[in-house]
Amino acid sequence: MIDRDRVRTVMRKDWLEVVRSPQSLAALLVVPAVFVVVLPTVVLLLARQPGFVESADDVRPLLDVIPAGLLPEGLDEVQQLVYVVVVFLLAPFFLLIPVMVASVTASSSVVGEKERRTIEGLLYTPLTDRELVLAKILGSVLPAVAITWLSFLVYTVLVNVLGWPLLGRLYFPTWTWAVIMLLVVPAIAFLGTSLVVAVSGRATTVQGAQGVAVLVVLPVVGLVVGQAAGVALLDVPVALVAAGVIVVLDVVLFRFAVGRFQRERVLTQL
Amino acid sequence: MTTAPARSTDPVVSASGLTRRFGDRVAVADLDLAITAGHAFGLLGPNGAGKTTTVRLLNGLLPPTSGSVTLFGEPLTPASADRLRARVGVQTDTNLYESLSVAENLRTWGRLYGLRGAALDRRIDDVLDLLRLTDRTRSLVGELSKGMRQKLSVGRAILHDPALLYLDEPTAGLDPEAAVELLDHVREMMRTSGTTVVICTHQLYGLETLCDDVGIIAGGRMAVSGPVAALIAQRWPQPELTIDVVSEGERAAAVVAGETGTTPERTGGRLRLTLPAGGQPSAVVAALVRAGVDVAAVVPTQRTVQDLYFATIDAGQAREDTTEVAR
Repeated sequence: MIDRDRVRTVMRKDWLEVVRSPQSLAALLVVPAVFVVVLPTVVLLLARQPGFVESADDVRPLLDVIPAGLLPEGLDEVQQLVYVVVVFLLAPFFLLIPVMVASVTASSSVVGEKERRTIEGLLYTPLTDRELVLAKILGSVLPAVAITWLSFLVYTVLVNVLGWPLLGRLYFPTWTWAVIMLLVVPAIAFLGTSLVVAVSGRATTVQGAQGVAVLVVLPVVGLVVGQAAGVALLDVPVALVAAGVIVVLDVVLFRFAVGRFQRERVLTQL
Repeated sequence: MTTAPARSTDPVVSASGLTRRFGDRVAVADLDLAITAGHAFGLLGPNGAGKTTTVRLLNGLLPPTSGSVTLFGEPLTPASADRLRARVGVQTDTNLYESLSVAENLRTWGRLYGLRGAALDRRIDDVLDLLRLTDRTRSLVGELSKGMRQKLSVGRAILHDPALLYLDEPTAGLDPEAAVELLDHVREMMRTSGTTVVICTHQLYGLETLCDDVGIIAGGRMAVSGPVAALIAQRWPQPELTIDVVSEGERAAAVVAGETGTTPERTGGRLRLTLPAGGQPSAVVAALVRAGVDVAAVVPTQRTVQDLYFATIDAGQAREDTTEVAR
């Protein structure tokens, strides 16, 4: 049986360590800030300039491959381009944010503890392997999801405010993105973190543990590219199926991470 | 399954034939151990002797290659280890969380051991008061001196008032006053709570006043183990004397040799000798007086844990050297 208080205690301790480390905090905040503030601001300010349609030649082919139902009716070309960039090109980055944030915090909390020689102290406590692994995963997943949701909120406000003069309506988030935020983001953050934690018992450096997050980042990057190319466009059914598949993978990977966790290996590979 | 309270004569922790290998290297070999409730056991040995591995084995952090451990009367297994560790406190040289404050470090530890609310606050206050760290409650651990960190790591181990306490060099880095206070508190825990203590240390001075039993480990093997006085009596069964004479040291040595049949070690007017079986110090002094030697002082030699330690390690080394030569 899992003692929730013990799990919460380790999570809280990990989070305090992260927010008090300028390097970790910078790694957590810089990427979301670029995705959420810089890129959409630049795009939406450029869209108000004359000649935007001509400068967006690379995006225009996407308009032809997007199924009719995914684009709102009655938009002119500029409005369509803005909508495509905000909803199909930039928004997929919200799948990258949780994986990147979670991999930074998870690698720091497991391998970082090995590097700082603090983990043996935890191993002498009554924490079970399952509690320790769960605490390390949730301690990274929850902040990652919180940062992603906060970023999403900022993005939503920003693109609607800056886009209002162009579209004259609230156009983001779409139902697809609401489902992705609520279901896919937590699931994919758990997946990336579990993977990092699973290898962290054997990794000896933070960078080594973070490297494995690439296994989750790459498919997400593929999805981003797929969106951009109009090949893998997300809609509500696809998002629901993706969430279901990822949750199954989460369960499998969590069990794998617990089974793979060995105090002996953690101690002898300090 | 609940564990019955250990009777005072029951071992709180015991090991039988405990062996741990890492590849070809034997870190702990065939170790037997039994530490009674409320007793203090000194686990002594040079660097790399196997002390840390032994503590890890006794807490279930490492599985033994062979042999078994019993903790609070229950076999230590992967299934029972986490639950049994709730009654154990361990202070090792592992680091504290530097970006957390003193209070946050203790609060984290207290909660992991099931302390909550006002009870936890009270306990943190008590421990900080005991360790004279109250004025550093809000300081980050990274800002503390080495001695303060050492105190805090001990505080972390005793916070939940454990039934079994492991201390690894607990007084290293402490000023003499703090070291005395800390060991006094450990004695107090043993007296009032019946805490069982295992202390791994190189600081041998004064250890006999704390430890009921010691074990000296070398090369992964427990060379000797038992009550301090009994081990010393076993190692040096005959009384040893230091005799200071005013003059005529050479003649005094001859008189002593005639009386005891043992040639004393002489440095000027100071003679050192081990009495033979049945020999009495008073008879030696009487012989010297009869021979007209002025005796200034007669001091029986008090052997200490430190003497026992070095004699045991030297004997082990000599055995290894002999074995090496025989090969």
